[in-house]
Amino acid sequence: MTGRQTRSTIGMLAPATGLIAIFVLVPMVLTIGLSFTQWSTQTGFETASFVGLANFADLLGPTSIGRDFRAAFANTAIYTALSVVLILPLSVMLGLLVHQTFAPGGILLRTVLFSSYMVPMIAVALVWSKLYSPTEGPINQMLGWVGIPPQTWLSSPRTALVSIVLLNVWQQVGYFTVLAVAGLTQIPRSLYEAALVDGASAWMQFWRITLPLLRNTLLFSAVIAVINAVQVFEPVALITQGGPVNSTNVMTYHIRRVGIERAQGGLGSAMAVTLMLSLIVVIVLLFTLLRDRGEQR
Amino acid sequence: MSSMRPYRRHPRTWRRGALTVVILAIAVAAAFPLVWMVLSSLKTPEESMQVPPVWWPGSPNLNAFTEVAGVVNLGRSFVNSAFIALVTTVAIVVTSLMAGYAFAKYRFKGRDWLFAVLIATMFLPPIVTLIPLYRLTGYLGLNANLLGVVVPNLANAFGIFLMRQYIKGVPDDLIDAARVDGASEFLILFKIVAPSVLPAIAALTLFAFVYHWNSYLWPLTVLQGNTDQYPIVISLSRLLSYNRGAMNTGLVMAGATLAVLPPVILFVFLQRFFVDSIVATGVKG
Repeated sequence: MTGRQTRSTIGMLAPATGLIAIFVLVPMVLTIGLSFTQWSTQTGFETASFVGLANFADLLGPTSIGRDFRAAFANTAIYTALSVVLILPLSVMLGLLVHQTFAPGGILLRTVLFSSYMVPMIAVALVWSKLYSPTEGPINQMLGWVGIPPQTWLSSPRTALVSIVLLNVWQQVGYFTVLAVAGLTQIPRSLYEAALVDGASAWMQFWRITLPLLRNTLLFSAVIAVINAVQVFEPVALITQGGPVNSTNVMTYHIRRVGIERAQGGLGSAMAVTLMLSLIVVIVLLFTLLRDRGEQR
Repeated sequence: MSSMRPYRRHPRTWRRGALTVVILAIAVAAAFPLVWMVLSSLKTPEESMQVPPVWWPGSPNLNAFTEVAGVVNLGRSFVNSAFIALVTTVAIVVTSLMAGYAFAKYRFKGRDWLFAVLIATMFLPPIVTLIPLYRLTGYLGLNANLLGVVVPNLANAFGIFLMRQYIKGVPDDLIDAARVDGASEFLILFKIVAPSVLPAIAALTLFAFVYHWNSYLWPLTVLQGNTDQYPIVISLSRLLSYNRGAMNTGLVMAGATLAVLPPVILFVFLQRFFVDSIVATGVKG
């Protein structure tokens, strides 16, 4: 490589790489380092004192630190699992509706679904807090029309987390639908024509052709859905503040509360590291479960 | 064939009609929250409090919108949001074009390794780095300031990935011809490569603008309660606490409607590029 080439390579890469190194990679490494310390977020890094695995022991321990953290962890796990279980099948179903050309309206549906993905989460949270309102909200009113009794939605510990999952699914499903459509366009038409010749029903075609060939798309969607789900923050910060009775206290909210608001930087970092490790485990599991194993299928 | 028509045509038409109804019903249901938001912003406070809820405003009016401006500094918040979204978007497009070009067209030692590290950051939830980042921007004197919102977000891995995917498709001959003519690498990037990946630039513009217009967690953290510097999404959250209960529904909905407009308008214009870019990065990537 000549000098000129080296110089242009460095020149082209420096801004983006430098910024990402300083503002993502360095903080990542700091998070790991700080997780072994006791440190007040209000003071400089040099005030951090090494405490070994004490923070992690606290997270697993019997005190309120451990109990609150494990509750937030469990809530996030439930929230994530529910989000993925709802979003993936919905995205395939909606994707089929957008992708088909038999009946009109596919593009309209895509536009409507994707519009909600553009809406700031804070506005989504505000609007849904009113939609969910037990007395003045239209959702309970509509349920009443079909004879379903009014639900408590965000105001009861039993239903609050699920209510937030639902508003999140509404906001995000458009994105995953477009991903599903992208996957569907990759499936060769000839496969369906051959299946038609063999007399396979539409139902059989879906299970034998469409779903298996969407495997990689679904894997990608599942990974993104998991990563998005652990980031839920606005509806909790704005409407429920983690309540009622801690039922919506999720990881992003809890880590920020501990690490920034209470300035327990070391403890908050230990929580962040635990979240990161759990995410890696989940993503590796998803890959081993869903990845296309080539000839086997 | 012609003898089969009468038997086949009828069920086909019927099924097409049924499917159309299903699609429209889902579209209406999906649009409902946003339609409700706009309708509620036009209602009177009395209508907002009625039980059961009134769907259609009896005398549509914009009072709630003027009232929002009295509670939060709406103009200032909009300027702040526009500043954050525009500066980050322009910077992200430029830094991503440069790095994407290098990763797509240069050969250098450690290229694939460096690219993999950068891409990995795409999957990192922001909360994982939030605490030290907050201290880091504090060291740089950026806390409680709009610059603190902007500076850590001038480059991102997704932009680099998107640009690399598209720039790979630009013919090498085109670039080599310009090099023979003595054009500098920056001239080649901005005069030859960039114009041939305009769809990717449009998509990245939309992604970056919408993401940073909507972003909440980082601005809330770094601005440390300095309300002068609040973007519209954080000012909005103050509307809810301003007056809890049904009284302020119209107010909240008017604020939400205003905050939703810029990203949704941008989306309507750039929708096609957006969808194409998801196909390019989601499946082939």
